[in-house]
Amino acid sequence: MEPVKRPDKNHQLTLKEFPYIIRWRDDRCTRCGRCTAVCPVKAVVPGVRVERVVSSEGTTPTPKVTRRVTSVVRQVNDINRYCTGCAMCQLVCPNEAIEPEWNPAHKFLHFKNAGGDAYKRGGRRNDPGLSTLDMLKFTRISMLTDPALDAGRHEFHLRTYLGRILPPKDLPLVAEGGMLAVDKNADIFVPPVRQIYPIMIGSMSVGALSPAMWEGLAMGVAYLNEEMGLPVVMATGEGGMPPRLLKSRFLKYFILQIASGYFGWDEIIRALPQMMEDPAAIEIKYGQGAKPGDGGLLMSYKVLKLIASIRGVPMFVDLSSPPTHQTKYSIEEAVAKMIISMSMAWGFRVPVYPKISGTKTAKAVLNNLARNPYAAGLSIDGEDGGTGAAYNVSMDKMGHPIAMNIRECYLDLVSQGKQNELPLIAAGGVGKKGNLAANAAALIMLGASVVSVGKYLMQATAGCLGDEMNRCNLCNTGRCPRGITTQDPKLYRRLDSSKVAERLVDVFKAADTELKKIFAPMGRSTELPIGMSDGLAAGDKAIADALGISYVC
Amino acid sequence: MSAEKKPAEKTVEIEGNVEGRRLSSKLLEERVQKAVRDGARRLHVTADGQHGIGGRIWPRETPVRITVSGPVGQRLGSMGMEGTEIVVRGSASDDAGWINCGARITVLGDVTNGAHNAAAQGVLYVQGSAGARSDTLTKHNPRFDPPQSWYFRDVGDSFAEFKAGGISVVCGVTPRNPDNILGYRPCVGMVGGVIYFRGPIMGFSAADVRQAELTDEDWLWLKENLKPFLKAIERGDHYGPLSKDKDQWRKLVANTPAEKAARLKRKVSVPGFASDLREKEVGAGGIFAPYISGDRSILPYITVGEDRRNKPVWENEKYSPPCAYNCPTHIPTQKRTALIRAGRLREALEFVLEYSPLPATVCGRICPNLCMQSCTRGMLVDSPLNIDRLGSLSLEIKAPEPAQKTGHTVAVIGGGPGGLSAAWQLALKGHQVDLYEAEDRLGGKLELCIPRERLPQEILRKELARFGEIGVNVHLKAKVDRKKFTEIAGDHEVVIVACGAHRPREIRFPGSENTVSAYDFLRGVNAGKGPKLKGADVAIIGAGNVGMDVAAQAFGCGAASVTAVDIQKPAAFGKEMDAAARLGTKLLWPKFTERYDGESKTLHFKDGSSMKADLLITAVGETPIVDFLPESIDRDKNGWVRVDELGQTTDSKVYAIGDATRPGLVTNAIGQGRTAAGIIHAALMQYDRMPEIKDPIPLERIKTVYYEASRVNGAGLAIGESRTNREGAGSCGAKDGSYSEQDVLADAGRCLSCGSCRDCGMCENACYWGAISRIGKPDGGFEYVVDEEKCIGCGFCAGICPCGVWEMKENL
Repeated sequence: MEPVKRPDKNHQLTLKEFPYIIRWRDDRCTRCGRCTAVCPVKAVVPGVRVERVVSSEGTTPTPKVTRRVTSVVRQVNDINRYCTGCAMCQLVCPNEAIEPEWNPAHKFLHFKNAGGDAYKRGGRRNDPGLSTLDMLKFTRISMLTDPALDAGRHEFHLRTYLGRILPPKDLPLVAEGGMLAVDKNADIFVPPVRQIYPIMIGSMSVGALSPAMWEGLAMGVAYLNEEMGLPVVMATGEGGMPPRLLKSRFLKYFILQIASGYFGWDEIIRALPQMMEDPAAIEIKYGQGAKPGDGGLLMSYKVLKLIASIRGVPMFVDLSSPPTHQTKYSIEEAVAKMIISMSMAWGFRVPVYPKISGTKTAKAVLNNLARNPYAAGLSIDGEDGGTGAAYNVSMDKMGHPIAMNIRECYLDLVSQGKQNELPLIAAGGVGKKGNLAANAAALIMLGASVVSVGKYLMQATAGCLGDEMNRCNLCNTGRCPRGITTQDPKLYRRLDSSKVAERLVDVFKAADTELKKIFAPMGRSTELPIGMSDGLAAGDKAIADALGISYVC
Repeated sequence: MSAEKKPAEKTVEIEGNVEGRRLSSKLLEERVQKAVRDGARRLHVTADGQHGIGGRIWPRETPVRITVSGPVGQRLGSMGMEGTEIVVRGSASDDAGWINCGARITVLGDVTNGAHNAAAQGVLYVQGSAGARSDTLTKHNPRFDPPQSWYFRDVGDSFAEFKAGGISVVCGVTPRNPDNILGYRPCVGMVGGVIYFRGPIMGFSAADVRQAELTDEDWLWLKENLKPFLKAIERGDHYGPLSKDKDQWRKLVANTPAEKAARLKRKVSVPGFASDLREKEVGAGGIFAPYISGDRSILPYITVGEDRRNKPVWENEKYSPPCAYNCPTHIPTQKRTALIRAGRLREALEFVLEYSPLPATVCGRICPNLCMQSCTRGMLVDSPLNIDRLGSLSLEIKAPEPAQKTGHTVAVIGGGPGGLSAAWQLALKGHQVDLYEAEDRLGGKLELCIPRERLPQEILRKELARFGEIGVNVHLKAKVDRKKFTEIAGDHEVVIVACGAHRPREIRFPGSENTVSAYDFLRGVNAGKGPKLKGADVAIIGAGNVGMDVAAQAFGCGAASVTAVDIQKPAAFGKEMDAAARLGTKLLWPKFTERYDGESKTLHFKDGSSMKADLLITAVGETPIVDFLPESIDRDKNGWVRVDELGQTTDSKVYAIGDATRPGLVTNAIGQGRTAAGIIHAALMQYDRMPEIKDPIPLERIKTVYYEASRVNGAGLAIGESRTNREGAGSCGAKDGSYSEQDVLADAGRCLSCGSCRDCGMCENACYWGAISRIGKPDGGFEYVVDEEKCIGCGFCAGICPCGVWEMKENL
């Protein structure tokens, strides 16, 4: 019989390994426990500490030792309960006694693989630096050379087109009562086109988002369209849409996404006969900027009754979508087959376009689409896009920046003379530093017809705590402290969907003003300056050269 | 000014075109200014498109009147000053009256774009229409009267942009655009002033201005000022129609900042829209209502009751403390210390007898005390509780009263520690137990082989005597053979085989026939028949704990030296090892025996070395003698009886325990005896048997900081230590063998009560929300309960609990 062994604590991590270190102030703390109650990962816990004071009270040295044990709040050094820096503790503390502090010397990734589990998280690429988009400036300012416009005074019509636009020579136009009209008898397919606001809400699924968040965005979109006159559209993300919405008049503000898991599509197809409106478009997801080469992933603990019903799956199973669509074996076949299937479902009345992650091979996809009469556009999602769940390595190291990708694709269309025919949708990191309108304008001037934004909206409308210092980023765990990316009612009931809707309206109204402030001095008020790259410049010569824009200093 | 001549009354003619040559704007300006300086107060300019005619004439005592004919250039009368009166006989070009500072300008025709642009004072009368962007940026300096702009017909697009003050009047007589007399989108950015107009308009910048009816005051002003205007533009006959009906007129006035702010407020609130949308379009409760049941109201971050994310649970005794878990008999020492702390020492000493018949013998003497080895206090604070001494204190305690007779019969074969334990447990439960012992006394190896130095016979005798008090039928010198076994099995419902291991294992090498087994040697010594070894060198093959007992006994028999050899690192540990080492036992390893020369008394090893060994003892273990068991009871190839984890053999009514099944410590045999007895009791009584031992408590749940202390306090003593028991920091004077009642009390206080509530009340006091309270029970027990409606689930109770009793659970 071996003697019993003493526990070995030699392999514990020091807190200096952790990305955020809790600064707790004993003198301010009342031990009310709000911080430990709210911490989403239990990184701060109550505990006890022994204090020993050696003192002498008289006028001669008279040693006295006092010892006392006090309750404290401390940070745990378990890598699976690392402090994410979300600062909910600071938010609920009545006495400013606690807050997380970023630790630039951390070695988090050295250890966040316990049990051989590669680190998975939500959020976006952890790169706090400026993106290319944020390094672009608008340098062509009209004053005397062109008629200058006034953002506050002029009437603007900032709209864009989603759908393939036939060149005038290909349109079957006839004169009818002194007006031009499309000849309905001509045997020429005139693709459906939607006039929409140039900033759209990117795909975030029911499931990735909580019902409170998703409904908040949906209500805000309806308001923007119906009360503000801004035709903002929202893509659903993979995983279907509640039938109540499918059958409502609001369907026309939504782009339905179909992805490789085909989740929720039986419910959508069943709702077809009851649809009062066509959707704005159909998005076929082939890739996501945040995690190129990875399919969707919804962890089983998020698959409760709501998600199971909408997606048409059993409860409590992991829902992973394959990285690629099954039964498709070549680019030609894959894209053509999906586009025509989806077009047929709505009688060719709805624009259908694929979404890919930013990649060196984007041009190959684009050229394929350029030859496909049913393709309504191409959406490219750059490396800075967000996600609800992905491997850290996919997020941090995989993907292509959107700026150059969209530029190359646009110039490719220009070389074919098709730049006004096939709209490009750009996404991935728009608003990363808060510059929603400026980033959107830059992408438009690089060649995008539509700019898609997701992560920024979660931050701006619902107070998402995530950032590029890997703060929070708990979306994949279902423990979102704001109630944005969770299916736990205790958490999502923290979020008021009508406040989300209101903030969405605020955000779009302000962005609309900012877009005008950018476009007016460039003399644009009615047509978007798509591809107007002579108005753009970079202070970095290499970036300027790569994008084919001016270098200024 | 003094150099100026007296004003002349005659009109000075200034030609803009002299002999077919157009005068530059500069020259014309210079001639006008000179004429005025020269005293001219009436001028007539025949213009030829010159810029800025009539402007910038400084105020004189009498007005300067200028009439203009011919084509007028841009900025007529611009920067005009008080006292200047200009009448244009025809139309004027752009920016007429630009930054007017007081001139009265009358245009008997049209004005083109930008009329009265930025005018601050003065008057512009226009007989016709104005072009685009007229009256833009007009001001009203509070030191002066506001500027007035009068248009008889209509005005062009973008009228009155950024208008900050001044009065505009558009009469709408025979307008060029009969549908819209104020043009496209007037008043963008207008913040002050007023526009009176008469006729149809098509919208204005509603963000900046609002339309209103004229007040009486407005109407009075308009009627009064209309007269001179109409007179000036030679349309006096229109006074009647224009002043006839106030209701033909409307005005546009700038919104106040408060009105603008109010306009920014959404007409339809987003939440209102959303709830309307929910109810009317998608259905009550919104798009997800069919899937979500229950309350959907907004929750704060800090919640109570069912809305908490975590809740505390008082998990008293959910886990075993390490002492009880590691003790094969699972003696719950934490309960003994709790009784002692409660002043119930005697009950504590009695309590251990429910677990073992031999606490003084085993716990107190020969056991390696796995309880103490694993004691959290010893592991993490200072030294373990003196559980061995606590066992010794039960020596004099009387046997418990057995339960009422059940009528069930059990036979136990073997009176060693295992058999004694099983018989003790079953007899206390009221079963009739027959115990068969081959020797003439009970105790097995405790009696036969354990050196008396380690186990004084008096202690064993006392405990065996107590064993004798509970009514077990002891059959001594009752060696069991196969026939006897069959008989016993026939007479009893259950048979427990606890025969021990009494056949020494043999190792074969040349000369091994000249060796003595440890079993025989130890048994001989205890029986008083030990060999005389005075001056002898003794070698032992096998340096385990039995080898150490042999070494100690060999020294006792007078040996000069004792060497224990082994083929590997010696397995001996604990008390046996300490005793042998103290006496000078040498250990030699690794050594493989080659042969033993009985003649020369030399032990040769395979590595060529050798040593003297007057006596060579083999201590390589014993195997059981189980020839008496029927073939139906399986044994393995070494002769150990095969049992399942409950101790049951391949015959369901026969159990086997102790060394008969595998070699082990005495405490293992006692534990197995108790476990088997528990199972047999449950089977006989047809009870469901619950596993007795729970998972060990994770050590991190124990808050050792309550007990940790600097090694000295102010008096130079370890904290919790008194002057009388200071030997061994933090421990209680056990080293000298004495163990007083005071020591017992101190030790009980030292117990960390792992996993078992010590009723200290730390949790109750720590809870900020007052959610925890202690409930006393009639039987003297207690529990701590949580008021769910106060608790926020912070975990301070769990964080402060010294014993690791409170657990935070997810509130799913």
